[in-house]
Amino acid sequence: MIMKMIKRLIDVKRWKRSSKTAAITIMAAVVLIGILSAIKLSKEEMMDYASDQVKQMIEDEKDSARKYLTITYNNLGVVNYLSFTTSGANALKESYVGFAGQIYQANSGIGKFAGQMVNYTYRMLGSGENLLHGVKLTLLLTTLSMVIGFILSIFLALGKISDNRLISKVSSAYIFFFRGTPLLIQLFVVYFSFPGIFGFSSRSIFPAGDPEAVYKGAFLAALIAFSLNSAAYCAEIVRAAIQSIDKGQHEAAKALGMSYGQTMSNIIIPQSIRRMIPPLCNEFVMMIKDVSLVFAISLMDITTISKTIMTSEGNYLVFLPALVIYLIITAILTFIFGKLEKRLSVYE
Amino acid sequence: MNEFKYILKTENLYKSFGSLEVLKDINLEVKMGEVICIIGPSGAGKSTYLRSLNQLERITSGKIYIKDELFLHREHNKTIHKVEADKQKAMLLEMGMVFQRFNLFPHKTVLENVMIAPILVRKKTKDEALKAAKTIVERVGLSDKLNVYPSKLSGGQQQRVAIARALAMEPEIMLFDEPTSSLDPELVGEVLGVMKDLARNGMTMLCVTHEMGFAKEVADRVVFMADGMILEEGKPKVLFENPKNEKAISFLKSVL
Repeated sequence: MIMKMIKRLIDVKRWKRSSKTAAITIMAAVVLIGILSAIKLSKEEMMDYASDQVKQMIEDEKDSARKYLTITYNNLGVVNYLSFTTSGANALKESYVGFAGQIYQANSGIGKFAGQMVNYTYRMLGSGENLLHGVKLTLLLTTLSMVIGFILSIFLALGKISDNRLISKVSSAYIFFFRGTPLLIQLFVVYFSFPGIFGFSSRSIFPAGDPEAVYKGAFLAALIAFSLNSAAYCAEIVRAAIQSIDKGQHEAAKALGMSYGQTMSNIIIPQSIRRMIPPLCNEFVMMIKDVSLVFAISLMDITTISKTIMTSEGNYLVFLPALVIYLIITAILTFIFGKLEKRLSVYE
Repeated sequence: MNEFKYILKTENLYKSFGSLEVLKDINLEVKMGEVICIIGPSGAGKSTYLRSLNQLERITSGKIYIKDELFLHREHNKTIHKVEADKQKAMLLEMGMVFQRFNLFPHKTVLENVMIAPILVRKKTKDEALKAAKTIVERVGLSDKLNVYPSKLSGGQQQRVAIARALAMEPEIMLFDEPTSSLDPELVGEVLGVMKDLARNGMTMLCVTHEMGFAKEVADRVVFMADGMILEEGKPKVLFENPKNEKAISFLKSVL
């Protein structure tokens, strides 16, 4: 299987024209990024450009425990950003952007804008932080919730169309509840109400000494709330896809002596998966944006970070990189689902 | 030769959909190796009868015997007698069914379509099932289409795969529910050819069909149904050339 894939991959001559174009574009981009990253100035090289005043401060504070000067260095691969700031009455602010082997001052004008964007993007990506920050948090939470939700939804969907009235009613009620109430309140219920009612706190699940316990507790609550919610939405998608399969398929399977379980797992669900892909992609994209609700329980996702920057720096352009990041994630996701749909359509 | 008299028998079979009575008092006996063609105008209940035999429809009342053993007895929508689940499954496997609209599994290739039920239901190993499937597909003349998806086949080829799929379960009775009705005229012949071949090899067959030529040539007995009742039955020669029932006379006049 893998050998076959590698063989097909190596056989460039038989590639489709569009694949060749895509491959060339990607390769060109990779090479460009490689070159730009390679000729980019290092942190030390950039430090050399600092003003004499800053250099003097660095020298003065070298051995002191109390540092007035804050040095921020953000490396985004292709570009990097360096700034020196102090607080207080005679606040000093000096920023530089390094790009393509050159260094540009970023204290005013377009340079300042570029510097800010690099800095904000760096923070929103959660660079230099653990998994529970920025884009990493958004992707982790969305993907896990969708996977767990989708698995749950298969049972919910089968439950809803089950002949057993009790199972059908319970499944319907679940779906009705989670689609009929705001996701934010569901998140609050899981995060605040459940621990409150049962007398524990979400952070107490993790070891007492863990400095990230608060975040981990909030993450767990968000994961539970989003999974349960996406299960309800996916269940309707799964149900619709299953019921769209021709009745003749059930009859043929039954006439061949297959049990209900065998029919579902071998005949009906494999066929309905392809029909689920477009609405599931839709649901996935919605979920990425819904995950921004975690700002209400203080998790540091893209949205929370941009709001924090907005509040502390008062820069209304901070949302620009946030929007671009969301768009890029959505574009990649749509592309992947499109490929998946094509791949599953081989028999049509 | 056989320890049973009739391989399939129905007594006083009734079926209604709500207030609509589709089958009224159907009595039919089928002997081993017999080929019976059921003809009649549309809406006569021919397909419903076939479908209630292998439990795709639930009968309202009546008795169904398989190999002289009471398989199901229902009165007024209540089950009076039925065989236990395991045995019921085994008895139902004696019947293979071919549908008007083929109902092949579109996500499986020809071979997979034929192999899946023997593997899942008859618990055959993959090798056994593959070997048997190849033989059967060859029998319906599609050895060159083994790994093709149904969507790439003509209607006639699809129906032949459907027949192969039913045969792979080694049934003793084959039920054909208008197998050629959704085919283009030029494709009918190839499917009838396969069915004739089956009949020649002694398969017990129950065919709902509009192909009078086929019925004349192959059937041991022809049953004429209308309005949910069997109005006339007999040897094809007698029924086609000298029908007695009025409805049968007018029906045969219109189709022949």
